[in-house]
Formats: sequence, structure tokens, C-alpha cells
Amino acid sequence: MIELKNVTKYFLTNQGKRYILKDVTLTLPDGNIGILGRNGAGKSTLMRMLGRIEFPTHGKITSAHSFSWPLGLGGGFVGSMTGRQNVKFVCNVYGIPYEKRREIVQSVYDFSELGDYFDMPIKTYSSGMRGKLGFGLSLAFDFDYMLIDETLSVGDVNFRQKAKHALRKKIESCHTLLVSHDMKTLQELCQAGLLVHNGQLHFFEDINDAIKQYRRINQTQG
Amino acid sequence: METKASTLTLRHPLKIFFAVVRALFLRELNTRFSQGRLGLFWTFFQPFFQIALFVLLHALILQGEELSTYDYTVFMASGFIAFNLFRGILSSSIGAFDANKGIFVYKQVKPIDTVITRVLLETFMTGVIIIIFLLIGFFLRYDNMHPENFVMVTLSFFWLIVFSTGIGLLVAVGSTFFPSIGKTVSILSFILLFTSGVFYSLENVPPEAQTLLLYNPVLHFMEMIHGFYIPELTTRYVDYNYMLLWTVIPLFLALWLYVRLEKRIISA
Repeated sequence: MIELKNVTKYFLTNQGKRYILKDVTLTLPDGNIGILGRNGAGKSTLMRMLGRIEFPTHGKITSAHSFSWPLGLGGGFVGSMTGRQNVKFVCNVYGIPYEKRREIVQSVYDFSELGDYFDMPIKTYSSGMRGKLGFGLSLAFDFDYMLIDETLSVGDVNFRQKAKHALRKKIESCHTLLVSHDMKTLQELCQAGLLVHNGQLHFFEDINDAIKQYRRINQTQG
Repeated sequence: METKASTLTLRHPLKIFFAVVRALFLRELNTRFSQGRLGLFWTFFQPFFQIALFVLLHALILQGEELSTYDYTVFMASGFIAFNLFRGILSSSIGAFDANKGIFVYKQVKPIDTVITRVLLETFMTGVIIIIFLLIGFFLRYDNMHPENFVMVTLSFFWLIVFSTGIGLLVAVGSTFFPSIGKTVSILSFILLFTSGVFYSLENVPPEAQTLLLYNPVLHFMEMIHGFYIPELTTRYVDYNYMLLWTVIPLFLALWLYVRLEKRIISA
């Protein structure tokens, strides 16, 4: 369960306050929730707030669950270090003992299909390769919630299938909050949906209702 | 993908802190050591060359007319290494938050951890340099290398580290919001090299200049270290209260600002 209490989030821009959330009070039940919204609606900001690296301007988000770091296309790695070093670093941050760490490094190496690139600096990676590495790494940890922001759409078709498959297996024992613009992926992996629109969150118990509503918004405004 | 981190349980905040600092330390050490052999050699021997150069210049300028009674090489070495520690902490603090922005996605990593790590790293590097120096002195049977008061020199270095950390954290927070602070500090630390009593003892300076130079807190630290290290020199110019003020006020100001601004630094 994730509880949002009077959550307001805005960014200060030259044009004044730009609201992402405006006084939202909502309780999300446990489950796999797909997050929808137009570009710039605040999907990624919501993910970052759940991952506790962005904070509401007012209000509180509480949950007893553990969340992964938001798995996005960008950050999370140090460019000058190799893939292997980055994996070791994250394990150290999470306090993983040495033996376990070795297993994780091996499993990430196997999963990410980076080959020799695994021992090359991250700055030589394409964004797809970064996504693969980050996704593989996150699978090695037992979070209650996986925060996945578009990473499933990286890489080639084969990898996307593999990632989807791995995630489906993973969420047998945990939940996911998934941002995606691919409706098929959302339908496959999520039961419920959350629509971010005009500073409000709309929760739908059925992902298909969320998608319908999302399409309606796109038609009236796009 | 059967591998699972079964250790992902609730950890005590202190435990998380130590794990993060350890991870960051190993990471920073790794980047420094992977610069290749030449880079590594230079890191440790740069101070030796610099000190040798200064000692040579000193001898050339004075042309054998020694004004001081103390061993200038030891004077130069102890002061320069201490000053470099201060300057190293200061300059590595400037970019600490910005350089680590990418890893703040892991909520365990707090910005302050990166500054603490860099302080530890600078201390570690300085420690290695000091040991190399003492070993060289030992094998060359250079007796002047023995500090007059070993315990007080060590304590002085620790105080210097705490002092530098306070200023460093202040600069780290400040330069995140005002990049010009970082540039100003870089220039200032260069000026400080000449006004902190690294090249000269305060007793060899005219009295009018003394009063002016004594406003510089770093000079007090250099005088303290020199006074305890070199038998011919004393700590009579050192104002401990003044140093304490310069240690406590920046440290608390920095911590206060940091606590207020931590979230903004993370999501900046």
C-alpha cells in the first residue's frame, strides 16, 4: 500500500509554478500498476518521489515497502567506471557481502549480454546498453516494488522480450510500477492503472479502463 | 536470474552510512589508481618535486646566507604537506555533489557522504605521502626528520582535517547553488599558499605584516604544526581560540545549511 497525503509538487520555472501534482490524496493498493500520462505530465517525477530521490513540495508519501531506484534511461552509473565496477559499487551501497556480490556480478553479466563491454567504461555505452545493465542489476535485488520508467523499451527486440519475460517472473514475488507508452506492455504486465493528468492522479482497478481514459484525453487535447 | 540479495533487510542508518562511504571510498580510490602507472607515480611524488624545487629556490635566493636556524627542508616538507591536505580537501569538495549527481538515484547515498569520502581519501593519500617521507628520512639517517613532539603534530593534523572539512562542506553546499563560489575558492586557495606561512616562519616576517597575516586561520595551523615539529620553532603566535572559531562556525553553518538544503541537492 502506498499512501499519498495532500501531496503537492511543483517546479519553479520562468513562467511561474509548474504543477505536477496538486493536493493529491490517494491510497494505492498493492499490485502491478501501469502509469500513464502525456509527456511532461509528471510520470517520471512521480517515480522519483516514490524512489525518494525527489520530494513533494507539500504533503507526504508513505509506504512500508521497499522500492527499487527508478530504472530510467539515464543516470545511476558513473561514466568513468566500467559496467562491472558500477555493479560492484551498487552492491557495496546495498551492503551485499562479498560472496553474494560475486554471484550478482556474474548474473548481471549473463543477463545484460554486454560481453566485452561489461569491462569498458560506461561512457562508451549506448543508452540501450545502459538500460540493459541497469535492468539486469535491479533484477538481482529483492525489492517490494520495482520502479520501471521506460526501460523496457530499450534494446533490440530479443532483449525486450527477454526483459519482459524476466520481469514477469520477477513480479511473481514482488510488484511493479511501470511507466510505458506501449499499451501492449502495460496490458501484459499490469492489472491496475494510474493516470497522471492535470496535476491529479486517477486510479483505475482495471488497466484497460485507464488506457481508455488516456486515449480519450489524447483525443480531446491532441 | 536465481541470484537474490537476501540481505535486503532494514539496516541501521549508521550501517548504511558506513556501507555507502566504504563503497564511495573504494570507487574513488579505483578511479585514482586507474589513471595508469604514471598518474599514480605523479600523485605521490609530485609533493617531493615541489618541495625539492622550493628548497632549491630558497637556497638560490639566499645564496648561503641562512637567516633561519632551523632545517628549511623539514620546514618546507611539513608545512607544504599540511597545506596540500587543506587545499586538497577544499578543492575536492567543490565538485563533490555535482560529480556524484548520477548516483544519488540510490536513496542510500546522501550528498554529504561524498564530501566525507573525499576528506577520507585526501587524508589517506596524505598519510601515504608522510610515510614515504619519513621512510626516506629514516634510510638517509636524516635526524632532523624526527618531529620534536610527535603526539602534538598528529593532533594538529587531525584538527586541520576537521577545520578543512567544515570549510569544505560549506564550499560544497555553496558552490552547488552559486557556481562562482567554487571559482573564487580556487583562486583564494592559491593566494593562501603564499599567505599561510608555508614558505616562511612568522618570526622572520616584519611585525606590521605579522598582524595582517595572523587574520588568516590557515597560517595558525601552519605555525602550530611547524612549532611542534621543529625544535627551534615555537607556537607563540598561535591563537587557539581564533582557530576554534574558524573550526566550529563554518562546520555548524555548513551542517545547518546542508540539512536545510539536502533534498534540493539530491534532486538538483
